[in-house]
Amino acid sequence: MLRKFSYVRASSIKEAVTAAARPGARILAGGTDLLVCLRNGILAAETVVSINGIKELKGIGPKPGGGFRIGALTTLTEIAENKQLPENYTALAQAAAAAASPQLRNQGTIGGNLCQRPRCWYFRGDFQCLRKSGDQCFAMSGENQNHAIFGWDRCAMVHPSDTAAALVAFDAKVTIAGPKGVRTIPLASFFVLPKESVLKENVLAPGEFITEVSLDAPRPGTRSVYRKVRERGAFDFALAGAAVVLTKSADTVQSARIVLSGVAPAPWRAAAAEQALAGKRLGDESIAAAAAAAVKDANPFGDNEFKVALVRGILEEVLSGMA
Amino acid sequence: MPDATPKPWGETTIVGKPIPRVDGDERLSGKATYSLDLYLPDMLYGATVRCPYPHANVKKVDLSEALRMPGVRAALSDADKEANIPWYGAPGGRSASRLFDTHCRFAGEEVAVIVAETQQQAWDAVRQVRVEYEQLKFTTDFEAALKSDAPPLHDGGNLAANPVNVTRGDVAKGFAEADLVLEETYRTPTQIHTPLETFGSVAKWDGDELTVWDTTQGVFPVQNSLANLLKMPLSKVRVIGHYMGGGFGAKLSLSKYTVMAALLARKTSRPVKLFLTREESFLCVGNRPAHAMTLKAGVKKDGTLTALEFTGVGEVGGYPGGSNAGYQVQDLWKCPNIHVVERSAMTPMGPARAFRAPGFPQGNWALEQMMDALAEKLGMDPIDLRLKNYSPMCQVEQKPYTSAGIPQLLTEGAKAFGWAEARARAKGKGPLLRGVGVASGMWGSPGRPPSTAIVRYYLDGSVNLNMGAADLGTGTKTVMAQVVSEELGVPLERIGIEWADTGTTQYTSASGGSKTVASDSPAVRAAALDVKRQLLALAAEQLKVPAESLTLKDTEISGPGGSPKVTTRELRTLQTQQVLVGVGIRGPNPTDKSVRPFSTHFAEVEVNTRTGEVRVVRMLAMHDSGRVMNAATFANQCLGGMTQGIGYATTERRVVDSNTGTMVNSNWYDYKIPTSKDIPPDLDVMPIDLHDHECDTTSTKGLGEPATIPVATAVANAFYNATGVRIKEGPITPAKVLMALAQRKG
Repeated sequence: MLRKFSYVRASSIKEAVTAAARPGARILAGGTDLLVCLRNGILAAETVVSINGIKELKGIGPKPGGGFRIGALTTLTEIAENKQLPENYTALAQAAAAAASPQLRNQGTIGGNLCQRPRCWYFRGDFQCLRKSGDQCFAMSGENQNHAIFGWDRCAMVHPSDTAAALVAFDAKVTIAGPKGVRTIPLASFFVLPKESVLKENVLAPGEFITEVSLDAPRPGTRSVYRKVRERGAFDFALAGAAVVLTKSADTVQSARIVLSGVAPAPWRAAAAEQALAGKRLGDESIAAAAAAAVKDANPFGDNEFKVALVRGILEEVLSGMA
Repeated sequence: MPDATPKPWGETTIVGKPIPRVDGDERLSGKATYSLDLYLPDMLYGATVRCPYPHANVKKVDLSEALRMPGVRAALSDADKEANIPWYGAPGGRSASRLFDTHCRFAGEEVAVIVAETQQQAWDAVRQVRVEYEQLKFTTDFEAALKSDAPPLHDGGNLAANPVNVTRGDVAKGFAEADLVLEETYRTPTQIHTPLETFGSVAKWDGDELTVWDTTQGVFPVQNSLANLLKMPLSKVRVIGHYMGGGFGAKLSLSKYTVMAALLARKTSRPVKLFLTREESFLCVGNRPAHAMTLKAGVKKDGTLTALEFTGVGEVGGYPGGSNAGYQVQDLWKCPNIHVVERSAMTPMGPARAFRAPGFPQGNWALEQMMDALAEKLGMDPIDLRLKNYSPMCQVEQKPYTSAGIPQLLTEGAKAFGWAEARARAKGKGPLLRGVGVASGMWGSPGRPPSTAIVRYYLDGSVNLNMGAADLGTGTKTVMAQVVSEELGVPLERIGIEWADTGTTQYTSASGGSKTVASDSPAVRAAALDVKRQLLALAAEQLKVPAESLTLKDTEISGPGGSPKVTTRELRTLQTQQVLVGVGIRGPNPTDKSVRPFSTHFAEVEVNTRTGEVRVVRMLAMHDSGRVMNAATFANQCLGGMTQGIGYATTERRVVDSNTGTMVNSNWYDYKIPTSKDIPPDLDVMPIDLHDHECDTTSTKGLGEPATIPVATAVANAFYNATGVRIKEGPITPAKVLMALAQRKG
């Protein structure tokens, strides 16, 4: 069922980069997405490069000079149940806990979660869609209730990651190893929108992979929440979700970060909503204004109009709970 | 000759008790051999080539490249003479298709099959088959499919069967007498069976004898159809259906994979295993048809129904079949004037199959939401409206019921659920609203003949129960062993069971229609009684006392006060014969009365008006299914029924891309059956036993289907109670809730 491929189990980042730079190579971490994609013929692989033997890619810990690092191989369960990260990072633990199912969270890694392919049922099904080098996005006039209301262009898939929204809200950075060396970039600039490319969801070049995610030490007074709405209680992707990070002094919001999941081809920062809260007392009025601002530029099509109300509802609920 | 009408049980000693499954250990530990677990020496593995288009003509099938693939041993397509087997019945006894008909009428239809040394090689080879298709026009809208300009799937159009047209009384007169008339259109989605065990068979030939291991609810119907299609005598076709991982109606009859496995096993002279993948099982082995139902109801101020008029269209998929949903409209509530018109539409989608109460959850969705709406308009409690219209008579058969516990289900259920208090409670403030709902339901047919069972009594006092019934995972083996134990006093651990094997067990119909216990337990009881009678007769002869004065308990037979006494081991005739064989045959149902099981479910839901999330908080399942044979398996059936119903109410539906005519959610993450997080821990089950001794000799009426019929409607009514908004098209998803609430706000 799987087409033949060669298998490399790398023991160092350098070895992995070398193997991953071969044409048609794929990085294997938890395998919860890659193996399904290979089995279903969505991806092809000449070489599968396992990075699971690279010890330095594992675990959560403090970073020299402050903040925290999360190795790319850290499982979602480890993040959901971690004791190392301060309470201010609750949204990240909540996002990890809201993903998939217990078995998948035990196996799936944070690096893989950020790099997972779209869950659009056309992309996953037997449809030669744009993202598989076809000539159309079937969702445009098809079954598009799960699709994007922000940031879509020729393709209307939504980015499936929960943790990505939380990490972007925390201004996380990702460190990427590759044939040209190591680089660290903000996670917010890691993702690629359809207007730039419909063939990839992130900036990784051939041979590159994420080695770690890093977080700055939280500012005092910061609280965070991740809220995900899905049709069923587990093993389901977000219809919409929001990671909200607020820094307050007394009743007043000093700064806000609001990043939406399930509504755009990348984690979607609701900058207008953040502005609507900044410097305001967190109360009914500012909450309503922020929720409205978040969807001001929403562009639903077909059957995904409900997501506009859903984003407003989620933000009203989350912000009211933080007031 | 066995006595067909033994006295009803009074107090029972083992029947009714929550006995753990007799095969629980092997099922839970993985030791049970399901058909998929069977590995025979030299076995080949099959994989199927399927049409990717909803409506197409196969112009050419080129298997040459596939046959050259490593490990590939044989293939079959429409070009092979032995594959010229009629499939899908059509009106007039004709068939609508062939095993690999070149006119394909749904995406996923079988075009060819390949066997190879390994499953992976077979799958790989399927990808190398080159098929040339001519795509044909289609519509996936089942209501539009019946219009005259719709592209026809079959000569004569897309109407699948003659329309049902039932009239009782005069609806025009009934509506004229009504103080209130409501009319609404309700819609239900296509639900997929998704049993945990997928679909498939293993076939093996010994000379001219065929043995098939099948995952089936009925080994005898499969044997019959297979023998008929392969033109073989029944005696040469053996079908074994031991451990089963669920069917829900999708495994009632012969499937194509079984025939393909048998043909390829014959062709290759090797055993063949052909199992569908999970994805395939979403496409071609059945579903619960979607329905569009318009219901018009007339009622007097005091709640008396005066007329019900039901117009329904159901979607049966690519081939003829019925999808009727109007039974409960005719029978659940007393109503003198009825008009039911039903049509079944064909669309280029996977054909429907019976699914846990075929038509009933759909019709219930319309009827019981309408009852809820009528009650509100009349200012009546929905319980009172139903009690007002209780019918002690089966109106379809025009006979009184042997028992009909609807009043008890409603009143005792309301008490146990705290209905009045829950309705009076505040719906909640702010974004979280609570509501409660109720719906009743009934199933439309009883347990019945045929069923023959055999009980063998061995000299060592152990017993063999031999029955044809399948155990779908519902506990049939356990319940039937309890019946034997009840009559003979033999402990369960000394009862061996042979079941669901046409080669060794006796005929019974498929396990479906909620009738296994009510059809087979009387036969098993009669067989046990036959053995008991023989044992007592032998003892009487030996002890020279009348048989009537003796009682049997396990291996001991004694007279009044314990004397005279003899053990079964000491019976001389048994010592000579080594075995006594008791035969039990299911007797007929009463002719002057109707047998029906009933249920009423109560639900409480919480609705998050900001996010559209609907959470079922608790449910109570009230059941009049006659005697409870095993309190644990009874509760299990109800919990399963509620789980499936909650899925039907909130998440489950086939999603079809109308442009390409293909299903987009044929997998377990996009087709959302409930998880443990979606099912509340607070699910209660309360049986009502009316001691119905007329329905059959074990006083049982059937449970499997009543357990799911009213679930989704109770949830829908609870949703309405919480929000004041009625969602008439299921399932009730966050998307629909948010759009409906936004509309209400205006």
